[in-house]
Amino acid sequence: MKILLILITTIFSFSATQASEVSEWFEKESSQFLEIISNNEGTESENYEKYKYFVNKNFAIKSIAYGLIGEKLVNNSSEIELSEYLNAFTDYLIKTIYKLANSNSSSSIVLQDVDIKDDIFIIKSEISYKKSSANLYWKVIDTGTSFKIIDVIVENTSYFVTKKSEFNKILRKNKGSLEALVKEIQKI
Amino acid sequence: MKRNLKVILILISVSFLKITSLYSNEQIFESGVSYDEIYDPIEPINRLVLNFNFFIDDIAIRPIVKTYRFIAPEPVEKGVSNFFSNLKEPIRTVSFILQGEFYKSFNSVGRFTINTLTSLGTFDLASKVGMEKNETDLGITLAKGGVSSGPYIVIPIIGPSNVRDFSGDVIEYFVDPLSNNLPNREYIAIGNGLNERVEIDEQIDKVRDVSSDRYEMIKSIYYQNRNAQLEEEYIQNLPVPKIYIE
Repeated sequence: MKILLILITTIFSFSATQASEVSEWFEKESSQFLEIISNNEGTESENYEKYKYFVNKNFAIKSIAYGLIGEKLVNNSSEIELSEYLNAFTDYLIKTIYKLANSNSSSSIVLQDVDIKDDIFIIKSEISYKKSSANLYWKVIDTGTSFKIIDVIVENTSYFVTKKSEFNKILRKNKGSLEALVKEIQKI
Repeated sequence: MKRNLKVILILISVSFLKITSLYSNEQIFESGVSYDEIYDPIEPINRLVLNFNFFIDDIAIRPIVKTYRFIAPEPVEKGVSNFFSNLKEPIRTVSFILQGEFYKSFNSVGRFTINTLTSLGTFDLASKVGMEKNETDLGITLAKGGVSSGPYIVIPIIGPSNVRDFSGDVIEYFVDPLSNNLPNREYIAIGNGLNERVEIDEQIDKVRDVSSDRYEMIKSIYYQNRNAQLEEEYIQNLPVPKIYIE
């Protein structure tokens, strides 16, 4: 009984420590993100570089990119094809976030809750726009050295799910050609 | 004549639902949809209708919405939104009763009474006293009753839907206990439609900006939002990518 209690206490305190670490990370990175959004004084390429740094630092780009095309296509593609796709996707992700953030001029992101499911942190926050606010969820993993975002869900719309259906459509239309997908996402 | 029209439309809706259950490829109704494959057999027609809707939006609806959002102060916009939302409380009550969610149906009755008596629904006082709004409709009721969503359809002017949800909307229009007894309900329906367009104005702008295939994006967003209303732990259960070492 005593061992069981110790075990339960250990598990709970470990989860609480992890949750507080991820909260701390989130507070720091979200305020940095807001700073990037609000500071539009530089040239477009300078601002873009700031977004690029932020996305490369905080997003699990490879996992998202490979998850969007599916394991089968990842296994059937060459290293060169995957590398080209990964570069194109990274650029696509940065541009998407850049466009979304620039059209929003959000004023605050407030952390509300942290939940853990299957080793994935689900951070609930609220983002305020000029006139309204929206629930914003972040799915985050602990890589051991840092935390990385694997999905962003605005209200009920998941970036990963939405892009997966878009990418699947392009792949189906082009008989599973990764090259065609790369060309398509480079158009953005 | 009007009564006959009602009966005909309800019959059409019900027969649509029968067709739906025959042709739908969905396995589990709880999630409503497989995220990768949404049943969309009339995609070419839907794409045409979506393009038509965007055309109408560009030339007629969007300018009205943008002007309204520019002119109307925030409290006015919020008040109008609350007003139309409050009109839906009676049909929400009916839907919750049909779903067996009696607590939520009482909550809807309470919200409608408080908000109507205090501000004709323009101010959501009920939320301030702990009676939070719960969204539902007859489409959700049908889904909870085991009716599958059927093919995805894009309705001219109205927008994305599926056979189940559209049937729910048609039935709702005729059985809504409130709007059935209001004069000029057609104008209320138009006002409500415009208000809904105002509410999603920012999202529509984003779709225009960041989508490589806006048709797929809108379809996916539509199903995700409907699934969120159906599933208790929707956010937790969303698919996530397999983790690769970065």
